[in-house]
Amino acid sequence: MPERREFDVRGTPVQILEDGAGPPLLFLHGAGGAGHWLPFQEALAKELHVRMPSHPGHGGSPAAEWIEHVSDLAFHYLDLLDALGLERVHLAGASFGGWIAAEMATMASHRLASLALIDPVGIKVDGWIYPFLFGMDVPEIVQTVFHNPMAALALAPPDQSVETLALQYRQGTALARVAWNPYLYDPLLRRRLARITAPTLICWGAHDRLAPLAPCGETWAREIPGARLQIFADSGHVPHLEEPEAVARAVLEFCRGKEHAR
Amino acid sequence: MKFYYFHLMPYVMDHDEPSSWVTLSNRLYDPKQGQILYNQYLDQLEYAEQLGWDGLCVNEHHQNCYGTMPSPNVMAAMLVRRTSRAKIAILGNGLPLRENPLRIAEEVAMLDVASGGRVISGFVRGISAEYFSTGVNPTHSRDRFYEAAELILRAWTEEGPFAFDGKFYRYHYVNPWPRPFQKPHPPVWCPSQGSSETVEWAAKRRFPYLMVFTPVKRIAQIYGEYREACQRNGYTASPYQLTVNVPIVVATTDAKARAIAMKHVMWVFNVGLRMHPPFWRPPGYMTEASLRRLLQNPPKLPSELTFEEADREGYIVYGSPATVRDKLRVFSDELRAGIVCSGMNGGSHEATLEMMELFAKEVMPHFREDAGVDETAGVGR
Repeated sequence: MPERREFDVRGTPVQILEDGAGPPLLFLHGAGGAGHWLPFQEALAKELHVRMPSHPGHGGSPAAEWIEHVSDLAFHYLDLLDALGLERVHLAGASFGGWIAAEMATMASHRLASLALIDPVGIKVDGWIYPFLFGMDVPEIVQTVFHNPMAALALAPPDQSVETLALQYRQGTALARVAWNPYLYDPLLRRRLARITAPTLICWGAHDRLAPLAPCGETWAREIPGARLQIFADSGHVPHLEEPEAVARAVLEFCRGKEHAR
Repeated sequence: MKFYYFHLMPYVMDHDEPSSWVTLSNRLYDPKQGQILYNQYLDQLEYAEQLGWDGLCVNEHHQNCYGTMPSPNVMAAMLVRRTSRAKIAILGNGLPLRENPLRIAEEVAMLDVASGGRVISGFVRGISAEYFSTGVNPTHSRDRFYEAAELILRAWTEEGPFAFDGKFYRYHYVNPWPRPFQKPHPPVWCPSQGSSETVEWAAKRRFPYLMVFTPVKRIAQIYGEYREACQRNGYTASPYQLTVNVPIVVATTDAKARAIAMKHVMWVFNVGLRMHPPFWRPPGYMTEASLRRLLQNPPKLPSELTFEEADREGYIVYGSPATVRDKLRVFSDELRAGIVCSGMNGGSHEATLEMMELFAKEVMPHFREDAGVDETAGVGR
């Protein structure tokens, strides 16, 4: 079971789940993933000291009014690394969390032992417009995000209480503040991906319907110098939920390789 | 009491799509039918002035069959030239929906000058669905509303040019020509759904508050909050600061009125306001406090409202002239609303005109104790 810890990062409270021992890895969750410590995180924590913060306005971290842009989140997590005294970490992120992670990597690759992106969003891809999840009801979202809809149960809300609905609304609001328009991307990010010097693993679900492998995953693999692209045949947009062991194995192997290379 | 004729300019149709807003394909819109409807609707508004209505109301909604008036200022412009006495109430312009809200200051000033000061300028945020149609970030809605309102009011009242450096809107030269006809500016109304933040904001500025399609019990509650807020700000609310917008159906008998209301008014709720659920609740459009208040006592979706519920809770007013008079007494005497905004739909253009005539003859004269009063004097600015 992970430990829950609260930090203050330059005045912004942040809640972190953490577990495991070994080289540090920071995992940035996607929309709806806050506070869910699932088999993927458990598998990573067998070899690494895994920390998963909840983004401001998500899970147990209160909303932060100053966050207006996704780069604010990236700086927030660079500040978190400073607060934790972590000079260098393995960084991983899924979907929205992958977007934040990529922004961080364009700013401070020297702080990253490795970078693992799991079906990230965040760049404008030629010939693709991300389906608008904000305009969808839950069945439509599940249909878009998951290849295996049963995997969605892990993120299902515990009930329909006012508290739960208010939390969901707060999370949607925090996401919309930085991702409503332009929707799910930062127009400046794509060109900046060439700055990333951290060794990068890109994991992609073969059946991703939100950000399909072609053209999205292929664009990422092309734009980040030397990136390795690994495809997960039985996954949609969230392979770390749909094939957690396989994705964890790939990430661990990649991190291990970069540890030995140092 | 003052009577304002309110038009949504609906494109009345039946369909089986899940939403009448945002995604209802515009292939279903027939411009030839639209031409007939626009002209009939404008005829109705012009006729309302002849029949004695005090004001004519237009409003802004986007991408739906509920109201085909994406630019209320365009319709107001047509009315300005075809009427001479009635107020032209734009209820309103969706301030946050504009990338350049100075255009609203300019357009409303144009209308005010051309009409010789007959314009009432509603300021609204736009309903939830507009944020899907326009792409504007709903989490910015409230802040953009306040900032645009400040910009427009300053553009109308301060000598230009001046610089404006807001969070969302920035100009080096604010200096619109023309300036508005009315001094210091056209009255501002706030049509709203009762969020406590807006009530306070409107009361502080003496901006009349307008409740649209709301059950009577909730109107009474919000009016109470508004009056209290006025007291807190050191004055007593004028009845003309409290406006109610309710559909009215009048016919020679209660039974006839009931049949018309069941068919044509319920279309507005059951079809016109049918909306894919996510479009009702874009993230951040409401404060979390407002959301919690809503969830404690969730209102029924308009598409699920039955005629019996609409009748019982006072969403609609219908009946013979005598019955309608009695029902309107609730608004005038109990709620102490100074202005009733209402559209009418008899089922056809001709039937609507007849209904308007009946109302003007048999209902309106019974509420004219304030015939000599200018409802816009001292309010809205």
